[in-house]
Amino acid sequence: MVTTPVAEGPTAPGSRRVLSLPATAARSMRKSAASSPGRLFLIGVGLVLLALLTGVVGAIAMQQKNDTIDNLIDHREPVAAASQQIYRSLSDADATAASAFLAGGTMPGELRDRYDEDIANAGANLAQASADVSGVPEAERQVNELARELPVYTGLVETARAYNRQGYPAGAAYLREASGLMRAKLLPAAQELYEIDSARLADSQDAATAVPWFALGLAVVLLGALVAAQMYLTRRTNRLLNVGLVVATGAVVVALIWGAVALLFESSQVSDGREHGTGQVEVIVQARIVALKMRANETLTLVARGDGGEYEDEFEKLSGEITGSGSLLTEARDLAADDETRNLLAAAQKNVDDWLAAHKQIRELDDGGAYAEAVSLAISPDAKTSAAVMFTELDDNLLKALRAARQQFVDETSGASNLMTGLAPGVGVLALVAAAGVTMGIRDRLQEYR
Amino acid sequence: MRGGGTMARRGAGRALTSGRTRRAALLGIVFGASLLAVTACAGGGRPVDLAGDVTSVARPSPVGVEENPETSTTSTTPAPPCDPRASYRPDGPLPPAGQMRDGTTMKAIQDRGQLIAGVDQNTFLFGFRNPTTGALEGFDIDRVREIAAAILGDPNKVQFKVVTSAGRLDALEKGQVDVVVRTFTANCARWQKINFSATYYIAGQRLLVDRTSNVTSLDQLGGKKVCAAKGSTSITTIKESPAKLVPVQVDNWTDCLIMLQQGQVSGVSTDDTILAGMVAQDPNVKIVGDRFTEEPYGIGIPKKNVDMARFVNAVLEKSISDGSWLASYNRWLGNSMGGQVSPPAPAYLD
Repeated sequence: MVTTPVAEGPTAPGSRRVLSLPATAARSMRKSAASSPGRLFLIGVGLVLLALLTGVVGAIAMQQKNDTIDNLIDHREPVAAASQQIYRSLSDADATAASAFLAGGTMPGELRDRYDEDIANAGANLAQASADVSGVPEAERQVNELARELPVYTGLVETARAYNRQGYPAGAAYLREASGLMRAKLLPAAQELYEIDSARLADSQDAATAVPWFALGLAVVLLGALVAAQMYLTRRTNRLLNVGLVVATGAVVVALIWGAVALLFESSQVSDGREHGTGQVEVIVQARIVALKMRANETLTLVARGDGGEYEDEFEKLSGEITGSGSLLTEARDLAADDETRNLLAAAQKNVDDWLAAHKQIRELDDGGAYAEAVSLAISPDAKTSAAVMFTELDDNLLKALRAARQQFVDETSGASNLMTGLAPGVGVLALVAAAGVTMGIRDRLQEYR
Repeated sequence: MRGGGTMARRGAGRALTSGRTRRAALLGIVFGASLLAVTACAGGGRPVDLAGDVTSVARPSPVGVEENPETSTTSTTPAPPCDPRASYRPDGPLPPAGQMRDGTTMKAIQDRGQLIAGVDQNTFLFGFRNPTTGALEGFDIDRVREIAAAILGDPNKVQFKVVTSAGRLDALEKGQVDVVVRTFTANCARWQKINFSATYYIAGQRLLVDRTSNVTSLDQLGGKKVCAAKGSTSITTIKESPAKLVPVQVDNWTDCLIMLQQGQVSGVSTDDTILAGMVAQDPNVKIVGDRFTEEPYGIGIPKKNVDMARFVNAVLEKSISDGSWLASYNRWLGNSMGGQVSPPAPAYLD
């Protein structure tokens, strides 16, 4: 506070000078505007500034759009795919553990491998998905839940396995607890995470197809201002054309047309990539999730051995979602972009029909007391008509269709990205050309006053 | 930070020429120093824990577990006193297998081709699924196979339907099963709704605790959690205990064992036979204290099928007389419950 008197003395006049600056400038501008050359000079400065501003805003907007599109391919869509893979792996691990229990004995080799792969897959994809959730608390919560509960789940399954090998029913009890944990905590968290990630993808796609109104508006205003300046000059000087201003106008028109055409095609390609790509992926993923839930309910009905009515009810309810009119598979077929995908989905439809027929037979066998035959029809990997084989084929076909839809997305979206090539620097350069044109054109006229 | 300070000082040295500029430089130093102070303050926060504070972990628990469940309102009126062990006397010797008399319940079962039995698949030694073979085994399962053999001539002609403790009465009343053989205590309240066979085993409720525990009776567990299966006589005993226990009920008996292993309950209290099955699976738990209830096990049969009750009692008598009861006992319970045992003498109503 010692400095207060020191500070006041010398700075006071200075700050008064600074404060009066805008007023002085306004006064001198009013004075300049009163004379023709002064007015011309002001018009020139205004146009140059407007051209530079439009160039900067336009280039930034185009660059951002380009980044958004690249981010769709490099980041948003892969993360959504990773989180759907988490759900798929976890759900399959649970169904596999139940099948292995039904199979009896020490876990058959292929089921053991499948379970191990599922867990490894879930872990690896969880690591990828978790790198992306900061700043989205809801997603962070799901990842946290998954990361905390997955080791607990595998611990329970291993305890169950140890007891099973000794021939004790405590193994079955641990397996039930593990499955309960999976269904109550892990799977809901994985599904929620997938829904959040696919919503974030959709938001990014919205941003990629949005019209950059501000940049566009500035360009239109600049164009209008240039036209108005030329009309003013024509009236004043009786000369029809001012080369500098014509060049400037031309540059702005080229930038506007280039930008508008590129954005139009870009947004249509991104929309196509959404409809036949990620939108399609979403429907197929839903179908896959429903199929996995059905499979888990089918095996758990058999594990419960007569005490599993609620599992069978859920199976029936879910089967209506995957097949029939307005179902997920029909919807996916309507969205398919090519014959190959349509054929895959038709094959998936047939797998579902065969599976449901096998399931009906399983239920008849089990309800009729032929439990061993029912179990064999449900889990045998060798019998051609077993539910296990049908389900695996269905999942394979859905996976292929999923890959095709993802490819469709990448193709369309990278096409959109190509359309944006050079647009951001191009807009910048054209704005500089416009500014240079204005400077030259106005300078020529100003020189006539000397 | 140090760099910023030197720069401010160097700037100050150059400005020490005139009085006015010195004041301006002084101002600059003060400004710079306060700026440094502000940024230094802003930099000094706390270390950030990215994962938050993980202090509590909710352990997983078996599906369907309920703590301190509401007492069911159905058993408010006490059943009239009876002798729960007394059943219907067999009418004569057993007919040959596969030649059941017309119009009997057994004939209907014979025509169907298999006996439908409500059993357990999660209680070691009585009714459990052998994880190696996938087959159901145990002392109760042996009883089911004897009945199937007597009616159909084949002990394997059985459709097993797993029922929970709580689902036993319901399955019989709805006629979903022919018999329920599932550590089923015959008592007067249940006799109101179904028939029981003669008693084929007498168990008694005891207490299971961790091997390191000093507890020897339920009284010492006041305020602590004690586990039993839903709809069992044991959970009622726990609820009504004067020791003010916290009852925890589960769907399957083995769920109680894993809750004890996971440290979620302080004890499990039910029939000594069921507890013996838990000790056999885990030597780190022990059965303590004396029997404090008597649980006569009977085979549950739908109320209307008195002929079936007489038939089942004849099967039991035969099983006891030809030594298969004892063989079954020795196979499953001999190691845990002691070798010297005699089958309970049948009691009949008429």
